[in-house]
Amino acid sequence: METAIFTHTKTIAIIGNPNVGKSSIFNQLTGLNQKIGNYPGVTVDKTVGFVRLGEKSFDLIDLPGTYSLYPKSEDEVIAHRVLNGIGEEKPDFALVILDACNLERSLLLGTQVMDLGIPLAFVVNMKDLAIKKGIDIKAFELFKSLGVPLVLTDARNNEGIDAIRQLMADEKFESPKPLLDSNAYADAALIEEVMGRFGFKNPYQAFQLLVFGEFDKAISQRDKQWLEEKSASYGFDRKKQQLKETEARYVKIAGILKSAVVRKKVESRNITISLDNIFLHPVFGFVIFLAIMLLIFQAIFAWASIPMEWIDVGFAGLSGWIYDNFPAGVLTDLLAEGIVPGIGGVVIFIPQIAMLFGFLAILEGTGYLSRVVFLMDRLMRPFGLHGKSVVPLISGMACAIPGIMAARNISNAKERLITILVTPWMSCSARLPVYIILIGLTVPDTLWMGVGLQAIGLLTMYLLGVLFTLLGALVLKFILKTKEKSYLMTELPIYRLPRWKTVLLTMFSKSKIFVFEAGKIILSISIVLWVLASYGPTGRMDAIENEKIALLENTPEEEWPIIEESYASKKLEASFIGIMGKAIEPAIRPLGYDWKIGIALLTSFAAREVFVGTIATIYSIGGDVENELTIREKLEKEVHPDTGEKVFDKATGFSLMVFYAFAMQCMSTLAVVYRETKSWKWPVLQTVVMTGVAYLAAFITYRIFS
Amino acid sequence: MTAARLSLQQSAIIESIGESDISINFLELGILPGKEIKLLKKAPFGGPMAFIIDENIIALRQHEALMIKLKS
Repeated sequence: METAIFTHTKTIAIIGNPNVGKSSIFNQLTGLNQKIGNYPGVTVDKTVGFVRLGEKSFDLIDLPGTYSLYPKSEDEVIAHRVLNGIGEEKPDFALVILDACNLERSLLLGTQVMDLGIPLAFVVNMKDLAIKKGIDIKAFELFKSLGVPLVLTDARNNEGIDAIRQLMADEKFESPKPLLDSNAYADAALIEEVMGRFGFKNPYQAFQLLVFGEFDKAISQRDKQWLEEKSASYGFDRKKQQLKETEARYVKIAGILKSAVVRKKVESRNITISLDNIFLHPVFGFVIFLAIMLLIFQAIFAWASIPMEWIDVGFAGLSGWIYDNFPAGVLTDLLAEGIVPGIGGVVIFIPQIAMLFGFLAILEGTGYLSRVVFLMDRLMRPFGLHGKSVVPLISGMACAIPGIMAARNISNAKERLITILVTPWMSCSARLPVYIILIGLTVPDTLWMGVGLQAIGLLTMYLLGVLFTLLGALVLKFILKTKEKSYLMTELPIYRLPRWKTVLLTMFSKSKIFVFEAGKIILSISIVLWVLASYGPTGRMDAIENEKIALLENTPEEEWPIIEESYASKKLEASFIGIMGKAIEPAIRPLGYDWKIGIALLTSFAAREVFVGTIATIYSIGGDVENELTIREKLEKEVHPDTGEKVFDKATGFSLMVFYAFAMQCMSTLAVVYRETKSWKWPVLQTVVMTGVAYLAAFITYRIFS
Repeated sequence: MTAARLSLQQSAIIESIGESDISINFLELGILPGKEIKLLKKAPFGGPMAFIIDENIIALRQHEALMIKLKS
């Protein structure tokens, strides 16, 4: 018989304050062996890394950065849940990352975790900075007074990482006696009762639950009520006891640090403060910020278009190759025209997502991102937004998708939701081809006060987007209700050089999340759209096909392309989407659109720029459809068959541009909103409201100009 | 007087933190009674204020700074 040694994989939760180098340590330990999943009911990502050390293997759970285990944000609720094993499997050990320069504050969290009774070890990171600041940490003193094993590291320079590995391999985790006695802050009998009901072995867990219960959705309504009644009957004042407990904790920590840390006075030039004199300057600060945003905008708008072009050409080539090498038939059609372009439609967003998150990781890693929040908070607040909403909104001018994903940084749920809901109104790059064609058709190419009238038209469309984004946020500010208080209170970390490994890992993992989570939805919708546009009621489609073949047989070969084009148009008209386009004509008539434009509106749901291709097909524009001039010349000549008036006159053109400015016509955005809000409620509501506003605005525009 | 009234580069000792829903947030960031607090920067138009406490730079909105009572 074969003998195999199965070693149980143990789990270690990693937790620490923000900006303490936790991600850096996590990345050093796990590398690319990371998996991103979900915690039920919340939008926090669950990142688990895998480490193998000799015979042993460990799952590392990367908990969100937090200053304490107090209930304020989803991040802290998750930390609390995992460490207590509520709705999640309780990890075997905890690794708490402390800041060598801020031991007092880090130990607030560190000793809270310690009091939960989970075996733990401390990693005191950034020892290099502490040495520079003249802070001497007596590691053995600290160990003696807390009873927790600890390792000193400088993760940026890879120092001490091996010591962490060694500590994990030896499983040198301890659960010492708690720093504080929970019974001093809540009645012992109450603690006893909570422990009994929830099966806790540790009194601090019970205390935490008394403070936390109300905020955690994982606790059932019945349990919450029970906790509330018990708190009332024992006269337990949650807020007061929490403050009291925290103050006592700080007093104890200060006592311990008195003997464990020696501070020497070191005269050093403070680079961070000198840099802040520039970056937070009331004038230059904003100028620099604008310049950086312009650079990011340029990157996602222009630089990303180069790899996007390769992806586009690559997938088109793949489709062609499939046609050439596979037997003709329905399955080949599905593969070459449905699935491959569908996957291409997902992959095409990777350059923009990777670039935005690359820049964000650099800005965050250097400490600059917090300064942006400092500068912009005052301007965003009147609209119900947070200083942190700036980056998603600006990114929205290139593409809403990475922008919505970047809204994750906003910790206040209401401000985050508002940001997600309004970002698609910023004028993204997919609207540009639509605007360019329609402006070319309806705005004369003349100068007005020395500026091109067409350029003014384009600028107007962008400003309209910004205006409605802010107005939308303002309206949502009054509609959405929240118990959560908005606050800024944030640390401005010291300036440091970015870690390139972290930057690359962020770019990789964000792209991966998009492809695997939003990608599924985008692919399915695009296949459905393809089927609707390629198939119709059998009789009609076949009749058209037969008619075409009969015609082709009787014409010389050089005229075939013209016939193919006109039949492509006829087939689209006879397809399911064509039928739907005609069906909605009465509804879009008041906006100045005919059924042909109706079809383009429907196919644009795949992505706004599809408008151009559809219009080219439906009006059988031959030649190079990429050439906007060809399309424009052709559309110029289109007239209504009954009245003889131009189809794309000023009123229809303007109304159509306004419609494209406001309507939710992007399934990829929908998929990402679903992924980020973990609910269909918001993307559906967003579609209905945005399209409703678009309809109204387009109607008003049409009335004004006709 | 409160921290919102400090002028640039002026420092004072924290006496207490006013009671509110976010009192606990001050404590966990290390903004504690007895600590020295110094105003480093102010964003324009009544925007956030950046303070130095324990060599850390902490940004607060004006309303948040108003909750920090200082020893005179």
